[in-house]
Amino acid sequence: MSRAGSTAALAAVTVALGAVAAALPWLGVSSYVRTLVYYACYYMALGQAWNLISGMTGYVSFAHGALAGIGAYATVIALNAQWPVAAGLAAGAAAAGLASLVIGATSLRLRGAAFTFATLFFQELVLLIVRKLPAAGGPGGLVLQEIYPTSLPYVLMVVLAAVATIAVAALRFSRTGVRVLAIKHDETAAVAIGIDSTRLKVAIFCASAAIAGLVGSIHAIFVGSLFPDVVFAVEISLIALAVPLIGGVGTAMGPVVGALLYVGMREVFQVVAPGLHLTIVGLLILAVVLFMRDGIVGAAARAWATRRRTAVPAEGG
Amino acid sequence: MALVEARAIEKRFSGVVAVKDVDLLVAEGELLGLFGPNGAGKTTMFNIIAGAVRPTAGAVRFRGVDITAVPAFRRARMGIGRTFQVVRPFRGLTVMENLMAAVPSAAARDGRPADLAALLRGVGLEKRANDPAAALTLGMLKRLEVARALALSPQLLLLDEPLAGLSDRECADMLQFVATVRRSITIVMVEHNVHLALPICDRAVVMDAGSIIAEGTPGEIRKNPAVIRAYLGEDAA
Ligand SMILES: Nc1ncnc2c1ncn2[C@@H]1O[C@H](COP(=O)(O)OP(=O)(O)OP(=O)(O)O)[C@@H](O)[C@H]1O
Ligand SMILES: [Mg+2]
Repeated sequence: MSRAGSTAALAAVTVALGAVAAALPWLGVSSYVRTLVYYACYYMALGQAWNLISGMTGYVSFAHGALAGIGAYATVIALNAQWPVAAGLAAGAAAAGLASLVIGATSLRLRGAAFTFATLFFQELVLLIVRKLPAAGGPGGLVLQEIYPTSLPYVLMVVLAAVATIAVAALRFSRTGVRVLAIKHDETAAVAIGIDSTRLKVAIFCASAAIAGLVGSIHAIFVGSLFPDVVFAVEISLIALAVPLIGGVGTAMGPVVGALLYVGMREVFQVVAPGLHLTIVGLLILAVVLFMRDGIVGAAARAWATRRRTAVPAEGG
Repeated sequence: MALVEARAIEKRFSGVVAVKDVDLLVAEGELLGLFGPNGAGKTTMFNIIAGAVRPTAGAVRFRGVDITAVPAFRRARMGIGRTFQVVRPFRGLTVMENLMAAVPSAAARDGRPADLAALLRGVGLEKRANDPAAALTLGMLKRLEVARALALSPQLLLLDEPLAGLSDRECADMLQFVATVRRSITIVMVEHNVHLALPICDRAVVMDAGSIIAEGTPGEIRKNPAVIRAYLGEDAA
């Protein structure tokens, strides 16, 4: 199948699955199942946001949890000021996008680990600021004043996960996507063929942050109250990174597989070994890195290619 | 007007003087050979022309425009393409994607379609279009890198040791390809293998220890005593 063909097929399947998932609240499915689907979509969308910058450019972010948190706060503040829902969500995406420009415009001019250190620093800095900020409710947090039906954040999160997945798939095989991946493989060579790597990295990070911001915005409507130590917990940034790492970095399907696996395992281990699920995720990543190199999707694609005795696909969709 | 005009170039790397007081002119349409022993400063001169390295003194002009402070990606867009002495393919991308990455935007091409398939045929990689670059041999990677630089549609092509590490057969193919490309593009070629490369050059410049020690036609270079001493002599020994 051609690349455009496989991207279109993936988009069709994603839309179909998304439509089914979005319709679950009206199909009499138990709220337990709906909550699982919601969290799978939450991690899928957040993982896809991380994948967009870190999977595609190789610049590793530890701030995606904090970016989602900024989106969450911006949306709750906007909704409490009686903004319409759409405007509240836009405020969340815009706030996270702006925050990414602060990190990106400085650290993405440099190559190597500067960006990663900047995101780590940012993650801690934001928590400190939000704890002190009166508008953000201080350490006590914020409560969303209006109560929305849970089907609203549910449907929004399903749609966001589907749109983010299709966007990453479409980008992967576009000219721009190939130029972004070129930066990951060899930035010196990329610059030598006319790629403005700084601008491209900053733009991709901004798009990635806007998606992360939206994830936070929608989740804020879902949970209804924000506590800084929960919203800005470093675990969220780690899971945003773990999900694509498990599934496969730089592929559209990676975060989908990773999120389903993570949510499934978390359910099992919360019963079997409560409080240990992060450790287990760590072990899972270790196993994937040691035995599969490019995640479950990459390993599956290679096994498939070997069976068909064709060449190894480069970075599968 | 020269296509490239580098004047009084000096480059120091914390103490080491890699290039000192070099004037290098490249005329439009010529194939200029740049020769010299290890550490002569050839790659450093390439990096200075392509913008990967800023000179500590001197100025570079391209088509009469001072580009000394212009970043490398913009110089590539202005029409300076290059290859690397140690190949730098995008290993995780397919052969075709390696070329796709270099094609200028549709606006910059004036809507002319880029003929990447013809480019791949030119370097004999048409059968490997969908293979990851990581699966290619060194000889193929060298050709891929030339094709990638050409996908930019450059006016100037800088080739840093295109023959290094190639078999006799591959060397002959590469020289044949360079001879075809030179009909439409100005080329500067750094090469260790003077015996193979000099005959196809219009003109040659020889560097040693950061300075130019000889300049002229291939015939003049072969007879130049300074060159024989610094370079050809040790090669012949
Ligand atoms: N980035 C760098 N940092 C420090 N010294 C450098 C650097 N690049 C080059 N040099 C030094 O500058 C001098 C010229 O190096 P250059 O690579 O330009 O030589 P060359 O003529 O291309 O040699 P070769 O034939 O070995 O490729 C050498 O002494 C080298 O060690
Ligand atoms: Mg060199």
